[in-house]
Amino acid sequence: MTVIDAHALAGKGISWAEPQREVNYDPAELVERSIAAGIDRVCIVSPRSADYPAANQYISNVCSRQPERLIGIAVHHPQREAGRIRQMLDAEVKSLGLRAVRSDGHPTRELLDAASELQIPVIYYPNRKRGAGPGRWYHMIASTYPHVRFILPHLGEYCSETWWGHMEALDLVRRYPNIYLDTGGIGSLKYLELAAKELPPERILFASFAPELDMRVGVESIRLLHLSPERHAAIMGENMLKLLRNS
Amino acid sequence: MSSRRDFLAQGGGVMVAALAGTPTQAARRTPMIDCHAHAGHAPALTDPWTTIADPEEILRRNREAGIDQSVIFPISNDTFEKANQEIAGICRKFAGHFIGYAKHDPETEKGRIRAMLIRECNELGLRGLKLHVHPGPEVLDTVAELGIPVIYHPARVALIEEISRDYPTVDFILAHLGADMSYDWREHLAAIEMARRHQNVYLDTGAVVLTRYIEQAVHELGAEKIIFGSDEPEVDCRLEIFKIRMLELPKLQEEKILGGNLQRLLGKYRGKAA
Repeated sequence: MTVIDAHALAGKGISWAEPQREVNYDPAELVERSIAAGIDRVCIVSPRSADYPAANQYISNVCSRQPERLIGIAVHHPQREAGRIRQMLDAEVKSLGLRAVRSDGHPTRELLDAASELQIPVIYYPNRKRGAGPGRWYHMIASTYPHVRFILPHLGEYCSETWWGHMEALDLVRRYPNIYLDTGGIGSLKYLELAAKELPPERILFASFAPELDMRVGVESIRLLHLSPERHAAIMGENMLKLLRNS
Repeated sequence: MSSRRDFLAQGGGVMVAALAGTPTQAARRTPMIDCHAHAGHAPALTDPWTTIADPEEILRRNREAGIDQSVIFPISNDTFEKANQEIAGICRKFAGHFIGYAKHDPETEKGRIRAMLIRECNELGLRGLKLHVHPGPEVLDTVAELGIPVIYHPARVALIEEISRDYPTVDFILAHLGADMSYDWREHLAAIEMARRHQNVYLDTGAVVLTRYIEQAVHELGAEKIIFGSDEPEVDCRLEIFKIRMLELPKLQEEKILGGNLQRLLGKYRGKAA
């Protein structure tokens, strides 16, 4: 079984999580912790940044030093970088070896056209008002771009801030075959149990959101589901491997 | 319904023996107690915590996690007399597996809490109080007389400052290390600071997602001020206990967090209030 963490963080910037703060996630420490937690490969993404081209270059450099351990993911801000995303992303995938893109803001046609052409997954966690679920933000993009594979982090609700955010995420997966959920940063495990019980197992991706959160907790969350070895292996890495293979 | 064999097999007998001071080998083991779980029904049907919290669900996970007992109190109601009776009933039904606390709302039940709480402790066997709403003297004077701990989930950590200073004999357990689901990491830091300043403030570890703050709390305050909790059944006790175990603390320190500290606080119960 190859264990792949689908969503971790590396580099300097502003935390994705609220309340925001300055962060500097050390990739060497991340790799060390991943080995201790029994994780073979880690997908890393930059924290929020005012300069994503530089942040993505950094991620690429880090990955090129440990390609057997790290997989790089680009980040772009669809509105702030409008008009330049297609060209940047093309170079980041083809030359820098990045394998997916995280959208810092609601994805535009420009970003999704580029992702579609490059056949890379799009990671998108809607930045919505407190108390609103992710559903509204996904229906249009998932139906308009059925060939783009979307990864919705945190089972739709970081730290389980609302229970209905998780329920909306589960419903989205049922409706759209191109939406996947990652398992990092879930506070209430019962919604992950629901997902494992009700959703096709190939649509759930193990993630830790380390080093913001502890990788060991992420691994234990999946173990506690008591899945069959096949399902467990699929969630822990095979599903992400397939997504990346197609990119 | 749990059988006697079930009860003994799952450690309920160990707990009873430990509390009774029976000098058996098993009794020397510190029981594992979850200080924060909810049980019972509520009428609103708008959220899981205004609908139902099933004690059997808690017991099933407790068995897997090796937890001997859980402290249970009601989910969200407007007033709590009936809900507290339900808690007492659950404790009787699953004897040895649960420790019941009352819950009250110092605003909606103002003027009636003292009489209810005395009866709930002395007659129904409840042994603590859970609060969400800020308490006044009516609640705190009664709690001080009874010698029961208060588990308090305030809107902001700062709200515990004055009451913990004014009632130094009351033990306050600040829920969720100050921030449920780690909604604001600054509240975790405020909680650690609060527990450092007040000898009678303890921190419960339940529903903390940013686990580095549990580690920081143990490191800075010592194991004596930290009490394991989960917030079952909304939060899974198996994962919450893993968050303590992964700290890899010396056995004695871990035992304090997982049950010893709470056992000590529960031992202060004086019974009849004046």
